[in-house]
Parts: sequence; C-alpha cells; structure tokens
Amino acid sequence: MILDGLKEEMKNAPSGEYCPDLFRAQGYASSNGTTVSQIRADGIAALFTAPKPYIYKNDLTVGSIRPYFTELSEEDRKTVCLYEEKYPERDFEKNGDHFAPDYFTAVRIGIPGLIERIGRSEEKHKNDESALDFLSSMKKTLYALIGKLEAYAAAADGLIGKEGYDDGRLRTVRDNCRALTVSAPRNFEEGLQLVWMIHSCFVSEGRYAMALGRIDRYLYPLFERDIESGRIDEEYATELLAGVFLKICENRYRGFDDVVNICIGGVDEDGKCSVNKLSLCVLHAVRDVNLPGPNLSARITADTPDGFLDECLRVIGTGLGYPALMNDEVNIAALLRKGYDLRDVRNYCMVGCIENFITGKQPPWVDGRFDPICYLEEILLESDADFLDGIRSMDEFMELYERKLARGVSEYVRSANRRSFVHDPGDRTSPFLSCFCELCIERGRDINDGGALYPSVHGAALMGIGTVSDSLSAIEKTVFVDGSVKLSEIAEGIKRNFEGKEKLRETLRSAPKYGNNDDFVDKYAVWYAGTLSDMFDRYRTNDGGAFYTAMAANTSNIEAGMSLQATPDGRLAGQPLSDAASPTYGCDVRGVTSTLLSVSKPDYTRCACGTVVNQKFSPSAFEDGKREKLLKLIRVYFARGGQEIQINSTSREVLEDAMVNPDRYQSLVVRVSGFSAIYVTLSRDVQEDILSRTQQQL
Amino acid sequence: MTVLNVSSIQRFSTGDGPGIRTTVFLKGCNLRCPWCHNPESISKKTETLIYPGTHRAVTYGKTMSLEELFDDVIEDIDFYRESGGGVTVSGGEPLLQPVGVGELARRLRSVGISTLVDTAGCVPWENFLCVADHVDTFYYDVKTADGALYENVVRGDKALVFGNLGRLVEAGKDVAVRIPLIPGFNMSGADHEKIYGELKKTGARRVDLLPFHRLGSSKYEAMGLTYGYKDTPPPEEAKIEKIKKIYEDGFIVRIEK
Repeated sequence: MILDGLKEEMKNAPSGEYCPDLFRAQGYASSNGTTVSQIRADGIAALFTAPKPYIYKNDLTVGSIRPYFTELSEEDRKTVCLYEEKYPERDFEKNGDHFAPDYFTAVRIGIPGLIERIGRSEEKHKNDESALDFLSSMKKTLYALIGKLEAYAAAADGLIGKEGYDDGRLRTVRDNCRALTVSAPRNFEEGLQLVWMIHSCFVSEGRYAMALGRIDRYLYPLFERDIESGRIDEEYATELLAGVFLKICENRYRGFDDVVNICIGGVDEDGKCSVNKLSLCVLHAVRDVNLPGPNLSARITADTPDGFLDECLRVIGTGLGYPALMNDEVNIAALLRKGYDLRDVRNYCMVGCIENFITGKQPPWVDGRFDPICYLEEILLESDADFLDGIRSMDEFMELYERKLARGVSEYVRSANRRSFVHDPGDRTSPFLSCFCELCIERGRDINDGGALYPSVHGAALMGIGTVSDSLSAIEKTVFVDGSVKLSEIAEGIKRNFEGKEKLRETLRSAPKYGNNDDFVDKYAVWYAGTLSDMFDRYRTNDGGAFYTAMAANTSNIEAGMSLQATPDGRLAGQPLSDAASPTYGCDVRGVTSTLLSVSKPDYTRCACGTVVNQKFSPSAFEDGKREKLLKLIRVYFARGGQEIQINSTSREVLEDAMVNPDRYQSLVVRVSGFSAIYVTLSRDVQEDILSRTQQQL
Repeated sequence: MTVLNVSSIQRFSTGDGPGIRTTVFLKGCNLRCPWCHNPESISKKTETLIYPGTHRAVTYGKTMSLEELFDDVIEDIDFYRESGGGVTVSGGEPLLQPVGVGELARRLRSVGISTLVDTAGCVPWENFLCVADHVDTFYYDVKTADGALYENVVRGDKALVFGNLGRLVEAGKDVAVRIPLIPGFNMSGADHEKIYGELKKTGARRVDLLPFHRLGSSKYEAMGLTYGYKDTPPPEEAKIEKIKKIYEDGFIVRIEK
C-alpha cells in the first residue's frame, strides 16, 4: 500500500536539470582548505548538506536525488565546468565506482563509531602530515553526512501536520535520522536508513553501480532482534526494503537505470549456508518493486534449501528475470585462487551485473573487453595462401593462434594499466568513499592510494566464446579432418563475406557447434577459458592486483560483431558475436540439458570475475509441478561446475514483440506438452493461444 | 543389429512423465487421429519440414542403432537421477517397433534409468510382451469408448485397445490412461460416461486429461497439408472441469497442459 503510494508519487518527475556538481562547486568556491583533500571534502560537504531535503509522502526511509534537480543559470554552468576541470572525478575506467562498501562495519558501529576510529588513527599517525590531512578530510565528509541526516530530521519535523503526510511516519523518519547522528543503528529501520543515506550520498557524488551487497547479512542482526521482540514483522521489513529499492529507480529521471547489485544467500564467513528470513524479504521486495535497477543476485550453494531456490524461481517466473543465480562453490574457488583470505572470499558479493567483489576491501572495480576473434581474423586475413595452406595440423594452427593471443593480451594489459588507477592518486582522492573500505581509516590513505586492504583488480571480459569455439571447430573439421576445404579458401570466403561462396559457408556451418554436448567443439571452449585465463594470470594491475577474466559483456557482443568481418563458423560480417558465456544463439539445437552440459565444461574457477549464461523459458515452466524440474536442472548444472545462470521467463510482452518482430526471436522456444516449438514458426492463431495461456499464468 | 526409426529427440521434456526426461519420438503410426499434434511422426518415411516464418528446415526420421540412441539419451543421466526423471519413448506408435523399444528400455533400466512408453495401445498383445518387463510406466492413450468412432475416425480397434489395457493393468504395470479432449469428437458428458464405464472394467487407476490445443498446426503447414483443426479453439476451462468430475469418482485425475 505504501509502496503503491510511493510508486504513484514517483511518477511525477522533478523539474530542472540534474546537477549535483553545482552544489559541490559552491563548496569548492567557499573552501578555505589548503590541500586538495580538504578542498574536495568541502565540495562533498556542500554536496551533502546544501540542497534542501526531499521527503516523499510515502517515505519510510529518506534520501532522494530530487534535491539535485535545479535551474541552472549561464553563470552556474560556467562555475560547474570550471570546478569539474579543476577537480576532476574518477570515473569507471579510473576506479571511481562499481564498489561494494563495507556496510557491515557502518551498520555495526555507526557514523559516530567511524569518526571515533578516525580519531584513533589520527593519534597513531600524529607525525604523518599527509595521513592527518586525509583523515581530517574523511572526517569532514562524515560530519557532512551527519549534517544531511540532521537536515532530513528537521525537514520531517517541519512537515508534521501538513496535508497529505502521515505524522506517524514523519516522526519515525525524524527520530531515525536523529538517532543515527549520535549512535550506531539500534534497529532494522535505522540500519536501513543509514545504508540508504550513505548510498544516496555515493549517487550524488556521481558514482554508478554502487552495490548494496549482502544486505541479508549486515542487516540481519538488527532484523533478527526486531523480529524476536515483535518490533517489526517480515511484511513490514519487506515493505521497508521495497521502498528503498524503488528509489533506486529515481535514476530514471536522469534517463537511465542504475545497476545496484544486491546479493542474497550464499555461505557465511564460516562456510555455513546463510539463507535467512531476511533473504526472503529482500527477494520479495525486489519482486514487489518489479523494475530494473535493483539488480538481485542469489548465491546458491549445494546446501541452499530447495525452498529458497524455488522461491527465487517463482520470482524469476514473474517475468522479472531476477535474481541471477550464482554458483557459490565455483565463485569461492575462483576468488581463492587470487590469494584472498578465506573469510573475506566467503563474504564476496557482486558489483554491477555479475562482477565478483571482495566486499569493502578493495578499490572500485574496473573492466574492459578482450576480443580474441580479431586475432583469429588477423591470421586468416593477413597471411598469404601459401602460408595458410602450409599449416599442417590443427595443433600447428592453435600454436599460431595462441602466439597472437598472447601478444594481444599483453597489449590489452598495457593499455588497461595506462588508463586505470594511475591517475594522480594524491589528487583524485575520494575521502567519503574511503570511509567505507577496510584499512583506509587505519592507514590514513585514500582507497586508490594504498588505503584498501587488497589491491585493485581488472576484469577482462572475454568476448565470443561460442563464435571462437565454433570457428575453430569448423576449421578443424573441414580443413584438418575432412580435408574438404583449404584454409586459404576459408580466408577468401571471409574476405568476401561468403558472397559467391555459399556452399563453403554451408560446409562450415555444418561443423559441430558449441552447446550440443559434443566434445569435438566443446574442447575449444575449455581451451578458451583456460588458456586466456592463464595468459591474464601473468599480469598485475598497477598496484599489484590480479587480472580476472569474465565471460559477460552485457550486449557488447552485438557492437563488437558489427565491426568484425565474417568468421569461419559461417557468421556473416557485422552479425553479433555469441553472447557472454552462452553458445552462439540458435546453434545449440539439442535442448537445454545439452546446452548446460556443454556450458559447464570450461573450468570457471579460472574466471574470477564471473560469467553469464542466459536461458529463456516459457512461463509454463514456472508452474507448480514443473518448476521443480527447473530447479533440478539448475542443481545438476551447478554440481557440474556451471558458474551462473540467469533465466528469463518469456513474458507476454516478449511473445507479443516476437509476433511483430519474428527476426529477433528465431530461437525463442515455447515449451508445451507433447513437444516444443520455435514460437515464430507457429501460425498467428496458435501464437494467440499461447499468449492467452501465458496471461492465465501470470 | 537392432535399429530404430527415430522422428526426433526432445530433451528436458517436462510434459512426458515425472522429473526431467528425454523423449524419443519414434516415426510411424498405425492410427490417423485427425487432430494429431505430431503429424511428422505418422509416416515411416523421412520428411523435411520447412517452417513458415523462419524458413527453418527440420528433418524428421533417422535410422539410429540401439547403441547410438542409448549413447544419446544417456548423456542426460545426471539430470534424470537428480530429478527422478528418465526416458520416455513416444511417437508415432512406439510399439510398432517393439523389439528395439524393449531392448532400449532394458539397457536403460540396467543402468538405473526409469523408462516410460507412451502408446495408443492398438497393437498386438505380443508387442507389449516385448517391452513390458523393462518399462516402469505406460502412458496409454484412449480416444473414445465408441467402437465405430475408433474404427472410422481414428482407424483403430476399440476392443484391442481396451483389451490390451486390461491385460496391462492385470499384469501389475503402472498405467496412466491419457484421454485427449477433442472438440466435436469426445467432449460430451455422455462420451465420457461411456469411457468411464469401460475404464472401470480395466482396473486402471490413473486418468490424465489432455485438452486439445492446435500448437501442431504449423507442422501441417510445413508439410504442405491442411490441418482440419486449424480453426478449432482449445476447449473451455469449465467444460474440462466438468469432464474431470466424471473421472474423479474412482480415478486419480490430472489435467495435463
């Protein structure tokens, strides 16, 4: 009810322009600071405290981006530009966002506790001028956070008695905000309020994809106490969470969805399954919000109760597609390879889409895309026919390809290290962010300047495992097994985009394809994940962290494909590459079990960043009685070492769209009794029958 | 060498028995149900269907050795074990290839995989004897209790169908009777009262009702045929429920969608 009210209120977009930097610039302008950190802290303080608070009538937890919408004069614009140039911020490429803050500590000791820690550190570093300088700027930002809470408390108080507001709620908001200025959160409501206010501050700083992380862990002690004492019930907790998650979607006023990863389930620091009642509240809150923005991940272990996994599937089956399901065993093994402490590893969460992250203990995430296909094309397009046809075996070809890849990886790393992290660590400080990363306070150093417990990491998203595997399979089969085609002919076909070479293309396309549980081609996927991860393992980031590999790249497989020529698998120039860790769309034709048997062959404990495997099912697969089969499917896939699966229940909207744009849905399978069918091959009235079924089930 | 004429193999089949199953559709059928949703499995001959919309060509009909077929379905053993699933042999009429089906089922059971045969029952009893020892569950289609309809519409033999069913139940096999609910053919209360009466005599315990759907019509189009049920909408919920009530007295009834 309150959620519905909030949804309604949020429909009114704020007027003006989103410009938090205007407030920050005012802080810079009036700063008396003598060091960059101090001036930056003054900017942040103004950013947090200058705008007038905004409280929704249905707010249970306050903190909004609305106050940052404002009318800008020409003068204002100039000021903003001036200071943006003078004090540039870190962006994604420079370790600026995609971070999971240490909310565990924040919730346990509160803002006063953090300030106290800074005090102790100042004592320890009393002869270290630069540490003292940074600590005092950190402290200033925390006092600004207190100022922001005070302002919200005052605003709530001022609204009491005003029409349309609920006085009881306003008093709660006021008291919660006030309490947080002087103590650690004492109950679930205050805990959530603290976390949300901190998160809102990060957003106002311009940070994107800041994770809420393991909210069912760090808020659990408060939740459990409140439930036991009867202070709150699960329904109310769910409503509180939903109100917060809904406000993630305020970013739509700025024209995009934020990607705030929320992680539930998984093992605790001692390795025990940690699913609890709060995990379910989070799950249901995300379901109730029913919008992209809160990006929910569920860590699944072999001993995660079936009941919890089933509940995840129910939520997925609503058509929302969340949560993404993560194999805890694989992710933990993958991160352990990178040398982190076991307890820290077990407390990992995700940032952004699926990137594994050691919660609050390493600098913000950075990644890039590595495209192995261009090196394959380099061999084929830049060698003459005699050279190509002189290659006597697949092994010889692979040796050549590996040499090219090794060079490619080395170039990639050099360029990545040039871009990220090295940018003026002393200048581009983040005093507020550093308060929420382990050891920054103790060391008196910035998160990107040696403050964090662990060094920064870089995720290299490997593109097109399906396209590469299928291409290598086609080369091996046609050139080296059947001997029906010469390598130079394939090169020629690619150059001509198979024009006039249709028969060659057909021959290449009929070679075994990844995703059909056929070792002939699947061995290349195994090779791909292992070999490329080995290559990246040889390198370190500027501060000594690891290069992770990933097979997950959002939709950049489409973009990457556009600039590439045809490939030996028969793909035409400009067509998309295979998506993430999935087989090439439409090439896995034997059914989902075969797809998953193939996809679970590579050793994903080598891919510390994570992978994405997308699967679509019709809504009927989520019905009672059938959902259990889906659950077992996932259990087997994970037991065999699959790392991730995200399932889409094909929603009514998708089916409708498929009727209008059949070309985009060539592989969309609807599963019905008796047989399955490619949806777009069905006649119109049959599609309508399925649609009407779908509607019944939703 | 025993070979089977396989129409297609469908993995993660969720409508063909308990757990995660692989369904092997065999090619060739001796009935001619005009509403059939698997028309590509009727003829014994290999057929290539080109689906309108995608121009995707799919070939049905492939001679597979027992070895080949066994190796193919055994790939999903982990899924069967975890889910209590197994292999379903359907068709077409699987019991027109009883030796191969029996041998496949025997080999599957010898490695602990459960087997299910989906038959229309209109075959000599000897064909059942070839497979019965190796099959855990039979899905047994009954289309009508009207002998003339069986003969004239379906081209089957009512006495043979009900006779075999009785013997199968008597032999202690797990049997689920499957009744398609076809508009204009067997949707009246009287139709089902009659089937009910006949079923009672066989001793069968389980009845699954399968409401008509026209999801197979694109296959007819792809085969260059006209589907007589193209314009027939699926039956209404209320009618299905009414029929269900009839069987609830004495049978465990399920509606399979």
